[in-house]
Amino acid sequence: MAQRLLVRRIWTVSVKDIRRFPAPAAATAASSCFSTSLQPAATRVSFLAPSRALPRSLPHASRREVSFNVQDHEDFTERVINSELPVLIDFHAQWCGPCKILGPRLEKAVAKQKGRVAMAKVDIDDHTDLAIEYGVSAVPTVIAMRGGDVVDHFVGIKDDDELDSFVSKIIGQ
Amino acid sequence: MAALFGGRRRWRSSQCFHVWSRQLTGKYDYDLVVVGGGSGGLACSKEAAQAGQRVAVLDYVEPSVQGTKWGLGGTCVNVGCIPKKLMHQAALLGTAVKDAKKYGWQISGPVCHDWATMAEAVQNHVRSLNWGHRVQLQDKKVKYLNLKGSLMDEHTVKGLTKAGKETILTAKNIVIATGGRPKYPTNIQGAIEHGITSDDIFWLKKSPGKTLVVGASYVALECAGFLTGIGLDTTVMARSIALRGFDQQMAGLVTDYMEEYGTKFAWKCVPKRVDKLSSGALQVTWTDTRTGNEHKDTYDTVLWAVGRAPETKALGLDRLGVQLNKETGKIVVGTDESTSVPNIYAFGDIGEGRPELTPTAIKAGKLLARRLAGHSTELMNYDNVPTTVFTPLEYGCVGLSEEEAEKRLGKDGIEVYHAFYKPLEFTVAERDASQCYLKVVCERGGDMKILGLHFTGPNAGEVTQGFALGFQCGATYSHLSQTVGIHPTSAEEMTKVNITKRSGLDATVTGC
Repeated sequence: MAQRLLVRRIWTVSVKDIRRFPAPAAATAASSCFSTSLQPAATRVSFLAPSRALPRSLPHASRREVSFNVQDHEDFTERVINSELPVLIDFHAQWCGPCKILGPRLEKAVAKQKGRVAMAKVDIDDHTDLAIEYGVSAVPTVIAMRGGDVVDHFVGIKDDDELDSFVSKIIGQ
Repeated sequence: MAALFGGRRRWRSSQCFHVWSRQLTGKYDYDLVVVGGGSGGLACSKEAAQAGQRVAVLDYVEPSVQGTKWGLGGTCVNVGCIPKKLMHQAALLGTAVKDAKKYGWQISGPVCHDWATMAEAVQNHVRSLNWGHRVQLQDKKVKYLNLKGSLMDEHTVKGLTKAGKETILTAKNIVIATGGRPKYPTNIQGAIEHGITSDDIFWLKKSPGKTLVVGASYVALECAGFLTGIGLDTTVMARSIALRGFDQQMAGLVTDYMEEYGTKFAWKCVPKRVDKLSSGALQVTWTDTRTGNEHKDTYDTVLWAVGRAPETKALGLDRLGVQLNKETGKIVVGTDESTSVPNIYAFGDIGEGRPELTPTAIKAGKLLARRLAGHSTELMNYDNVPTTVFTPLEYGCVGLSEEEAEKRLGKDGIEVYHAFYKPLEFTVAERDASQCYLKVVCERGGDMKILGLHFTGPNAGEVTQGFALGFQCGATYSHLSQTVGIHPTSAEEMTKVNITKRSGLDATVTGC
C-alpha cells in the first residue's frame, strides 16, 4: 500500500515540478516497473558524473558533508534536489524502533562509498509536509534521488549487504 | 384551473430554489468542515471524504496550563485512553512480577520501576499514532489544517495559527467535535500554579513522585491506580462518592481493592490551598468535612481530576446562536447531532448528554457523515453502550446500574443474580480476591430481560465486550444460563450465576 502511494505521490510530484522530467506513462505500476521506467529520465541528467570519476571542484563544493540533517524546505531543495551527487533520503522518526537500527547501517553503507553518495536525514515529525509530499507513510522509508529525480526507494529495514547493493545501484546507473 | 396554475408556479419556484442552492453549494470551499481532530472529528471527516465530500478538518491543541501540548488525534490518543491503558499495563506488570515468584520465577531482589523508560515508550507510541492519523487523512483525501477554528457564521470557519495568521474557509455544513479539557478548581489557592491535570501526567519526563490525586472520577481512580502500581506513594482525596453515575456497589469494590493494594484514600476531604515549599515540594492544606479539622501534608505532585469542561469558549457559538446547556456548557444536540443552527452539527464529548467515550464518538461521527452526504438516514444509538474503568481491579459494565434499574422498576420489579468468584490466576499467587464480583440485573418475571451486567476482575474490558453483544441482542436470564461457559476463565462465572440477592444466600462461588 505504501509502495503504491509512493509511486502515486512521486508521479504527482514529478508532474508538478518543472525542474523534473515528466516520467513515462508506464510509471504507475508496481515497484518493479518503477525503477526501469525512470531510467530514461535519469540518463537525461547529463551533468551527473559517472560512478568512477569523482568530480573534483564543483561550484557548490562549499557543503560537502556526506550525511546531514535536513533543516527546512530550502535546505532540502539546495542539498538534495540540486545535489550533484546521488542522495539517499532517510525518512525516520524518533519514535520508530526500526529506524534506529537502519540509521547506523545506512551511515556505514554511505561511508563505504567515500563521497560518491550523500545522505539527507529527515525527521518526519519535524518535516511532516516534506514527508507527506514524498508519500512517506511507514518509517523508515529511504528514497534515492539523482538530479532531482526519485530513482529508487525502499521501506523497512535492510541488512548491510542489501544496503551496499542498493547504494551501488544508485551510483552505478 | 387556478390550482393547476398555482401548482406550476410552485414547481417553477422550487426549481429556481434548487438552481440557486446548487450555485450556493458550488460557492463553498468545502462540503464539510470539521472543527476538532479527535476520535470523533477524524472519523467523521474520513467517512465524509469516503462518501465523496470535499472535507477539511481543523485540529489545534491549546497548551495546558503547565505548557503540555500534543499532536493530532485528540484526547483519547494523546492524553486519555491510550497512554492511560499503557501505564495501567505497566502497573499490572509490576503486580505480575510480584506474583511470578510464586509461580517459580527466580527473581533476585526487589524490582523497581523507572518512570522515564515507561514515559518515553508510551510517548513514542502516541507520536506514532499522531503520524498514523496524519497519513490516514492524506490517504482519505481530507484536508488537514493545524489551526484553531472558530465559527464566523453558519457557513464560515476561521482558522488561526499560533502567530495569529488567519485562514477563512467556507462550508456547506460545519461539524463541531472539539471535545473537552480537564477543569481546574477555581477556589483553591495555588491550584493552578502548582497542580497538574491528566493533560500533563502522561507527558511528564520525570516521575511525579509522591502524588495527591484530587477527585474520585474514573480519571482520578485510574491515574491513582497506575501510580500506586508502579510504586509511587499515592493518595486519593474525594469530596463525596467515587465513580458518580456508576453502580455504587461496584464503585465500592473498586476502591476497596485499591485501598487494599496500597492507594491511600482521604474520604470526605476537600483541599483548601496548595503552597510550594522552598524544597520544591507542595504542601496541601485540606479540611476533613466529617470533623471540620484541617490537615497538612507534602507531596511532589498534585493532580486535579475534578471534572472536564467542554471546549466551546473560543468557538464563537454565542454569536451564531448555538444553544448551550447552561449548567454544563455543552452544546445542546438533537438525536441527529444537530444544533439549534440548521447546518451546524456537534457530537462527541461536546454534545450535551452524550457519553464521553471514543467508540460512541467514532460511530456517531461516521453515521453523521453518511447522513450529511445523503447516503443514509441511520441515527446513532446511544443505548447499550458498554464501558470499562481501568482501575487496578478493572470494572466493566453494560446497561443500567442496580440503583437505576430499581428507580425505574422498583425493588420488586428486578431480580439481581450475583457471585463472588476467585480468578484461577489469584490462587497460586495467593492474592486476595474479595472484590472480584459480578452481578446481572434482570427484569423480575416474564422473559427476565437483562437490564445491566457488572463485572469486576482482571481483563474486565475483554470480558464485558463479549457480553455487550448479548445485551445488544436483548439477552434474557435464560439466554445467559443456556450459554455454556469457557473453562477455566473468570468470564464463565457470568454464565453460571444463579444466586439472587433476594435469597440472601452466600454468593461465593465454590470450586468447580
